[in-house]
Amino acid sequence: MASMRKKSRGDNLVLRYAILGAWALVCLLPVLWFLSIGLRPRTEIITPQPIYWPTFSLDAWHMIWSDWPMARYLRNSVLAIIGSVLIDLVLAIPAAYSLSRYTYRGRDDIGFYILSTRMMAPAIVAIPIFFLFRNAGLLDTIWALMLIYAAINLSFVTWIIRSYMLDIPKELEDAARTDGASDLRILWEIIIPAILPGIITASVIAMIFAINEFLFTLLIASTSQAYTMSVALANFTGGSDGVIYNAIALVAFLAFVPVFIVVVAIQKHLSRGLTMGAVKG
Amino acid sequence: MGETSLSGTGAARSAPARPATSRLRRRPRWLKTAFPYLLVAPAVIYLMLITLYPGIYAIIQSFYAVKFGPWQPVGFANYVRLWGDYQFWGALWNTLVIGSIALTLQCVLALLLAFFAYRDPWVRGWRIVFLLPMLFMPSAVAFIFKLSFLDARVVSDLLIRVGLIDGNLAIQSSVWMSRGLLILADVWQWTPFLFIIFVAALQGQDEEVEEAARLDGASWPAIFWNISLPMMKPVIAVALILRGIDITTMFTNVFIITKGGPAFGTETISYFIYRTGFRFFDFGYASAASVIMLILTILIAQFVVKRAFVSARS
Repeated sequence: MASMRKKSRGDNLVLRYAILGAWALVCLLPVLWFLSIGLRPRTEIITPQPIYWPTFSLDAWHMIWSDWPMARYLRNSVLAIIGSVLIDLVLAIPAAYSLSRYTYRGRDDIGFYILSTRMMAPAIVAIPIFFLFRNAGLLDTIWALMLIYAAINLSFVTWIIRSYMLDIPKELEDAARTDGASDLRILWEIIIPAILPGIITASVIAMIFAINEFLFTLLIASTSQAYTMSVALANFTGGSDGVIYNAIALVAFLAFVPVFIVVVAIQKHLSRGLTMGAVKG
Repeated sequence: MGETSLSGTGAARSAPARPATSRLRRRPRWLKTAFPYLLVAPAVIYLMLITLYPGIYAIIQSFYAVKFGPWQPVGFANYVRLWGDYQFWGALWNTLVIGSIALTLQCVLALLLAFFAYRDPWVRGWRIVFLLPMLFMPSAVAFIFKLSFLDARVVSDLLIRVGLIDGNLAIQSSVWMSRGLLILADVWQWTPFLFIIFVAALQGQDEEVEEAARLDGASWPAIFWNISLPMMKPVIAVALILRGIDITTMFTNVFIITKGGPAFGTETISYFIYRTGFRFFDFGYASAASVIMLILTILIAQFVVKRAFVSARS
C-alpha cells in the first residue's frame, strides 16, 4: 500500500535515490576498506602509495591469536558485559516498576535523578572512581569493569523498561490483584513477561555501550589482566613497528558481527531504546 | 473499572482508598507507604555511589594539591589557576566548537536522510545500511580514521587522483583540519543514531494529517517543513540532547586520533581532565576542572534536559 501512494505523489525520485544512494556508499565504502585492512599483510598497510587491491592474507588472524591473549580479552569483555547487564536488570526492573506503577512523593524527582546520571561525563567521575576502586583493591579486575558498566547503563535501562511498563494496561494487574496476588508476584508473573521485548532491547543497548566503553576501561584496566576488546585494540602496537592496523580492523570486524545480528533482530525497538523510551517507534 | 484501577495501583499513597482485597494480605501501613521507595532504592543508591560519591570526592580533592605525596590543603588555589589557564579555556572552547559543528551537521544530515527514506518502500533496507557505522567499536573507528587520513594518507591520495588537491594534506599541522577530522569521524559514526530516531518519529506520526495537507495541494517539502518537523520537535530535542552529551564528553577519538594536538587545538575538556590527572598526576587540579564541569552538567540537566524529556512524553 505504501508503494502505491508513492507513485501518485510524483515527487523527485531521482533526487531521493541519489541522496540515499550516496549516503549508503558513505556508510559502506569505509566498512569495506576496513575489511580490506583486516585481510591484508602488514607490509601493505602504510606504504608511500596506498594500495587499493591488496594481497589476501590471514596474517592478522594468526597474529591476534598467537601474539596476544585474545581469548582472555574476549572472555573479559563477555563476562564484564553479561555481568553488568544482569546487575542492571536486577536493579532496573524493580525501580522501573516503582516509577511506573505507584504514585508517591518525590517520584518524578527520583526518576529524573536516575535519568540525569546519564549526563555525567565519564571524565568528571573518573578520578574519584579510580581511587575508589584502588582502595577497594579492584583495579585491574573485571569486577570493577562490571560495576562501572552497570552504573553507566543503569539510567538507560531503567528508563527504557519504565517506558514499556507504562504501556501495559492496568486492568491486567487488577485482575490478578483481586485474586490476591502480591505486588511482587504481579511483577514477576505478569509484568515481566509482558515487557520482555523492552527488557531485551534495553539489554542489547546496554551491551553495545559496554562494548564501546573506553575511558573507564583504560583507567581501570592497566594490564592485559582486565583488558577488554575495546581497550586491547588501543594497545595493538608492536613497539617500534607502530600501530598494528590489520589486527585492529580484524578484531573490530569480529566484534561487529554479533552486534549486527542482535541489532537487526531488535530493529523495531531500536529507536525507542535509543531515546530511553521517549520515541515509540 | 477506571475507578478501581486507579485506586488499586495508587494504593501506596492514598491509604483510605485501599481496595478491599488487599486487606487479605494484612501488610502494615508503613510498609505499604515504603514499598515503592524500597523498590527504587537499590538503583538510586547504586547511582549515588557512582555520581554523588565521586562528586563530593572531587569537590574535596579540588581544594588540595594532590601529587605524589600526601594531600596538601591549598584553598581555592586550583580554581584560581584554572581561571588563568588558557589550556582549560581552550579545551572548553574546543569542546564547544567541535561539538556544535558535529551536532549541527549530523542533525541536518539525519533529517535530510530521514525525510527521503521514511516513505520509501525499502526503508527497512536503508535503515540497516545506514546503521552500520554505529555498530563498530568507536576505538576501532578512530584507528581507521587515523590510518586513512594520517598514517596511510589514503584520503589525500584519493583527492589528488580526483584532482582536488596537489599535494598531501598536512592535517596534523593544521588545527582546523584536525578538528575537521574529529568532526568527520563523529558525523560518520553517529549520524545513524539520529537517523534511526527521526525515521521512527516520522513513521509514527499521524498519516491523515499529511494526507489532508497533500490533498490541499501542499508539496512534500512544504509538508515536511510545516507539519512533520514541528510535530517532531520534542523528539528532535531528546535525540539531540542524548547525542550532545556524548559529543561534549568526546574522549576516544581525541585520545586515538589527535592526542589533543596540534597546539592543544583539539583538546576537549574530557581529554584535558584525563591529561592533567592521569598523565601529569595533578589530581587536585584535575578535580577542580571536574567540579566546574559537574556544575555545568547539573545546570544543563536541570534546565534543558528535564524540560525536553517532559515534553517528549506528553
